Amino acid sequence: MFKLRSQINFLMLTRVIGLLLMIEAAFMLIPFVTCLYYGEADYKAFGITMAATVAIGALMAFAIRPSRTDMGKREGFLLTALTWVVFTLFGMVPFMIGETRLSVSDAFFETMSGFTTTGATIMTSIDHLSHGILLWRCLMQWIGGMGIILFTLAVIPMLNHSGGMQMFNAEVTGITHDKLRPRISQTAKVLWIVYVALTVMLGVLLWLGPMDFFDGVCHAFSTMSTGGFSTRDASVGAWDSVYVKVVVTLFMFLGGVNFALLFKAATGHVGELWKSEVFRTYLIVIGAVLVLFIVAIVANNQAHSWENVTIDPLFQIVSTITSTGLTVGNFEKWGSFVVALMFMLMFFGASAGSTSGGAKIDRMLFLLKNVRNEIRRTVHPNTILSVRVNGKVLSSDLVNKVIAFLCLYVMLIAVGGIVLSATGIPIVDAFFSSFSCIGNTGLGAGVTGYGGSYDIISDFGKWILSFLMLIGRLELFTVIILFTRGFWRK
Amino acid sequence: MRIVIAGAGEVGSHLAKLLSFENQDIVLVDKDASKLANIDANYNLMTMTGRPTSMQSLRDAGAENCDLFIAVTPYEATNIISCSIAKRLGAEKTVARIDNYEFMNKENRSYFESIGVDSLIYPEYLAAQEIITALKRPWVRHWFELHDGEIILVGVKMRENATLIGMQLRDLAAMQPSFHISAIKRRHQTIIPRGDDYIKDNDILYFTTTRDHVDDLLEICGKINYDVRNVLIMGGSRIAIRTVALAGDDFEFKIIDDDIDVCRSLAEQCPDSEVIHGDARDIEVLREEGIGDVDAFIALTDSSETNILACLMAKEFGVVKTIAEVENLQFISEAEGLNIGTTINKKLLASSTIFQLLLDADSSTSKCHALLNAEVAEIEVRPHSKITRGAVKDLSLSRDMTIAGLIRNGKGMLVTGNTVIEPGDHVVVFCLSGALHKVEKLFN
Repeated sequence: MFKLRSQINFLMLTRVIGLLLMIEAAFMLIPFVTCLYYGEADYKAFGITMAATVAIGALMAFAIRPSRTDMGKREGFLLTALTWVVFTLFGMVPFMIGETRLSVSDAFFETMSGFTTTGATIMTSIDHLSHGILLWRCLMQWIGGMGIILFTLAVIPMLNHSGGMQMFNAEVTGITHDKLRPRISQTAKVLWIVYVALTVMLGVLLWLGPMDFFDGVCHAFSTMSTGGFSTRDASVGAWDSVYVKVVVTLFMFLGGVNFALLFKAATGHVGELWKSEVFRTYLIVIGAVLVLFIVAIVANNQAHSWENVTIDPLFQIVSTITSTGLTVGNFEKWGSFVVALMFMLMFFGASAGSTSGGAKIDRMLFLLKNVRNEIRRTVHPNTILSVRVNGKVLSSDLVNKVIAFLCLYVMLIAVGGIVLSATGIPIVDAFFSSFSCIGNTGLGAGVTGYGGSYDIISDFGKWILSFLMLIGRLELFTVIILFTRGFWRK
Repeated sequence: MRIVIAGAGEVGSHLAKLLSFENQDIVLVDKDASKLANIDANYNLMTMTGRPTSMQSLRDAGAENCDLFIAVTPYEATNIISCSIAKRLGAEKTVARIDNYEFMNKENRSYFESIGVDSLIYPEYLAAQEIITALKRPWVRHWFELHDGEIILVGVKMRENATLIGMQLRDLAAMQPSFHISAIKRRHQTIIPRGDDYIKDNDILYFTTTRDHVDDLLEICGKINYDVRNVLIMGGSRIAIRTVALAGDDFEFKIIDDDIDVCRSLAEQCPDSEVIHGDARDIEVLREEGIGDVDAFIALTDSSETNILACLMAKEFGVVKTIAEVENLQFISEAEGLNIGTTINKKLLASSTIFQLLLDADSSTSKCHALLNAEVAEIEVRPHSKITRGAVKDLSLSRDMTIAGLIRNGKGMLVTGNTVIEPGDHVVVFCLSGALHKVEKLFN
């Protein structure tokens, strides 16, 4: 028995991860049944993975009897980060032993991209994939969208006591976390109910349209989670239907709104939406960028029909800002100005507390207000200025935290881009991929005209990008803290 | 249970943490957001910034349908108004922290009920009571009477001369003693003992016994009872004033305070005691006031550290009984380890009242006493509750609670494994913190 230097409660961590794995196995039942229904050979892959996951999960959960059950801040961070990695490690197995036969790097990338709702893919064509695999890709996004931990908090009462609070803080996006109910499990339940309700609505709406049931379900999963996996190579464009585009745009938009706010709106406080400065900013950014997009489209002579200047750009903007990463067919032709705008949208992301990625509009709002104050202070050095959002003054601690976050974010993008360019990728594509992955957008590398999908990136580059996705999804600190010496010291 | 707590001061935050640990739904309201930030991020409860006397913020906090509303801001007027508003909004039960002895009078109760305040917490008064109990029985650490003293819970610190040391509880039980060891406090930990636990030096044992057998404990614990007469109090706080008022003629008090204004008002409020202006940390002052002849020394300044150190100093001078007000919870175990006889903590006293109310939802005669890591509760057994379904040993009770004794037909008796609890009994339960909700289930 070796002696651990730190006092992190590893036994308890293992036990909880074991329980979580069993939940993942339960989710795998869905693609397994789908494969059986469609009579596809991939049922074996899912069956084996599921059995292995349950076995290992049960072993971890029931063979270990931790002497103490308490979990503190450090355990919260570690558990959250580990959970995401472990989920990916088990979730990737069907890709490796199924008919797709992906390599470890490819499968890991694809799965991480799924759980983090990035939606970047290394598959060059997905039309021939089995229904089970297609559903699993979308389902992973759906689980990851609202959060694995959040789901667990809602269903396993055990975590209510120990460490649940820390894990909630480590996983939920945003600077501060709104609680809707006194207990964390109740808050988690409310958020998941909103999420499930929206998904069901979207699924039904899509099914009523040109999609069949299977495609409707898959797209509901990947749209609501702002993930962006599709079931066709041509993505949503395959249906060539304005109805589908409008419905998907609307729900992507909702996926980018703070779910706590959505809940309040749904329970009769619609006014809360408009009162929220973040929500207003979200709308304004979309509106402003839409105008610029239309100008660009017209200037590039791409306005062939009314759809080209209305729903197509709107779809693309919402898809990018909410980090969904779905694309409309011809947007490569809209010019490089549009690509530059998309850089900005990816960076912004949508509201905190939603399923979207990016740095979050909340933070941009803080930052811009702070910058405005600083500018004013250069002329009037003695003015007392405060950063005010939704009428509430934010403490300078919070503003510092936001600035630190954004600095780190930019640094990570830069480092990611530089490392990728070292693997031989052209500089613009390297940065675009780095951007796209840390923001969990997953717009294809094809956007910049380099290759069709991420399969063109080297194995090393894929691991780097997978790592960026994880960091981005857990909002930097949760993962980065694990690489500091202070974390492990007693 | 939905509980709204107004005021995130020391008592409020302590209650919030404690109750959230008891699996209750807690909303903590304070007008100062900075007080809430840390609690919000680290505990399983919801916080809200708002004034405790604003209808809108109380409504937002969910006072409309809460089961219990607790107002513990530092100002009693705010607390009373806040409770009154909450009650009008629809709170089931309200509790206000007060600071005025008059309010506790029985004849004033109906007035408070009429304005919507159901219960009152007066931590200073409870503290004074606790001090008086400690002065009357200097050999015990805790003395808690249940049902008019039919069952008594006594906490005693073991020293080398106690005959119990080194015994295994199983052997002890075989001797059929006239007491039940309900809990052992060892360093920072409280243990509900099982048959295979041993009693060690420096443990604090919690005995449950009946009135007639209390004196047996003196012998086995190696203690002698003596009378306290002269008491020196350091710090003229509100607790000091209450203690002097409550004690009547039983003791001779000397109060030392270093603030001349406080001394003047003390002299006015406590005419029968001697008030001295000076710093009680100064050895010269203590000698002058005859510290060597004092039977008990009580330190009640605002600083826990000063109180503990002053008590240690008094010990050096040969004072046998020392009592310190220790507001920092972590220091309580330390103070107990340093042989400071009794510690007074306002937070624990306030929680006792609140826990009683939590249990009160089920029975009207319950009583509760909060210790550092545990609670003692007296609960009336209702017909058909789980606890009546068999002999105690067959109930497979949770390991973090024990049934210490019971009162049947007004007579206290001890409980063994073979006792069958009947409806109408009053049961004394000793449980570790965080287990009170389990106890509640047993009795429903």
